[in-house]
Amino acid sequence: MAYNLYDWNQSLQQRNEYVEDRLKDGSPIVAVSFEDGILLLTLRSAQQRKIFDIYDRVIMGALGKQSDIESVRLAAIDNTHKEGFERSPDDVSLQRLVGFALSPAIKRLYNDQTTIPLTIRALFAEMGKTQADDHLFVLGYDGEFAIKKNGAVAAGTPFAETEAEKGLTEANPQTISDALKAAITAWGVGKATLAPTPEKKKNDYDRDEDEDDNKPVDPAQSIRDLLAAGGTVEAGILSRTTRRESKFRLLEAGEVEPLLTEYR
Amino acid sequence: MNAVEKRERHFMETILTSEARGGDFAALTGRSFAPVAASPVFVAAKNTILPTNGLADEPIHGTTVIAVKYKDGVINVGDRRATGGMAIMYDKAEKVLPLDDFTLMAISGSFSKAMEITRYLRHSFRYYERSQLQPMSLDGKLSELGKVISGNQMAAMQGIGLVIPILSTFDAEAQEGRIFFYDGGGARFETAEFGAAGSGSTQIRGVFEYIQRTQGAFREMERDEALKQALLLLEIAADLDAATGGAGKVLPLAKTITKDGIADVEEDVLRGMVRELVGRDPLLVGAKGY
Repeated sequence: MAYNLYDWNQSLQQRNEYVEDRLKDGSPIVAVSFEDGILLLTLRSAQQRKIFDIYDRVIMGALGKQSDIESVRLAAIDNTHKEGFERSPDDVSLQRLVGFALSPAIKRLYNDQTTIPLTIRALFAEMGKTQADDHLFVLGYDGEFAIKKNGAVAAGTPFAETEAEKGLTEANPQTISDALKAAITAWGVGKATLAPTPEKKKNDYDRDEDEDDNKPVDPAQSIRDLLAAGGTVEAGILSRTTRRESKFRLLEAGEVEPLLTEYR
Repeated sequence: MNAVEKRERHFMETILTSEARGGDFAALTGRSFAPVAASPVFVAAKNTILPTNGLADEPIHGTTVIAVKYKDGVINVGDRRATGGMAIMYDKAEKVLPLDDFTLMAISGSFSKAMEITRYLRHSFRYYERSQLQPMSLDGKLSELGKVISGNQMAAMQGIGLVIPILSTFDAEAQEGRIFFYDGGGARFETAEFGAAGSGSTQIRGVFEYIQRTQGAFREMERDEALKQALLLLEIAADLDAATGGAGKVLPLAKTITKDGIADVEEDVLRGMVRELVGRDPLLVGAKGY
């Protein structure tokens, strides 16, 4: 069978569409670097965890297929623990993990026409000695990654990411409660931006005729909707100043609740 | 296949197959302390230097580490001296080492082997917790340490690398501190009130009993009271054992485990107690202030 440039282009496009279709409804993951450390936050309706401890100073959050998230998570844990044990925990860095281990492998999977590409968009965060040394990496299903400072968002579309990140950079939070507030707001912006646009709704045959198509989705409303439907906030922090052995911990519901009252 | 391709292939396979190894860190690294079948060397060693109590009679790194329970958990104290034969090699050795948020290991015996074991266990416990999304059970951790010690037995029998640790932890279910000690073969025992290991530990064994009978149980004591008794025990060990360093030169290490996790005893509290005990401040001050 002849395999021409057109087929090749077509197949790439189909792969992209396949993955992007499945990513676009995912709940965004927000990372904020502040004075005491790094916060990763998302809102979720299911019980499945989305924010994970990878190594002493590395955490990740991801959206996509659960099985693919698990694969990347385990590969990251294997890689960092092996390196940290055989060399030193000081040699474990995101540049090495994402840049030289995960990204090339994911890229290869993406290029392999005989497999289904990973459906994942992952956000990795590495805590340094000071805020200036913090690194945030956003890794895509095709192996491409972007390095960010201060704040980053992983969401279903690039547009939703840019929109959500705008607010984060402006907020420039310094304390944990400011960081939480900014992250929740950014999540709302990301989620609202992902909501079907008026044009898309017009093509949706199941659409309710009475719906006001021109009204943009309110970021706060998307948070309210999820919370009303029984959704919860999942937030994990890496702390620079903690006395505990583990720098990472998941925040308890009680620590986040005060910031949610305005959305209840 | 070049090295880069090999590495990529490895991660591709990891990602593709995604078979969690049940959190087994030894399987990941190929580094294990699994027991080795008796070799000719081992048999020969058995006939010549097998000591009566399972410990080597060759001089090993001496020390004294102590764990006592108190009202809110467990206190660990350890001297700072590291010896090689008759020589004092180092004055700031850390022999009370956190393995995770709620587990402390106080080490005696070969310092290098103990550090290696500590590094291994730290990674092993955390690898399990991070990959399996649940902490390793207390029993699992105790077995892991037992496995490591029994795997190390052959070297220990030959007089190199014997490690006898005390493991202290806070049992969240029972809401109390717990102390375990091991013999050279990896068998573990739980102690009700206190534990000590190292070359100075036998000399002070009776003192523990004396304190219990005259002052009451350690588990009823306030932190500072239990700490004071532990420091006194350590000071007696230093007086009676050449390989145990006294508090007069460098401040001992003191850490607690409570329901909130591991914490260092505040330096000024420790310093105050040592001053009372020894009559003066420690002579040497390290980078960390002690």
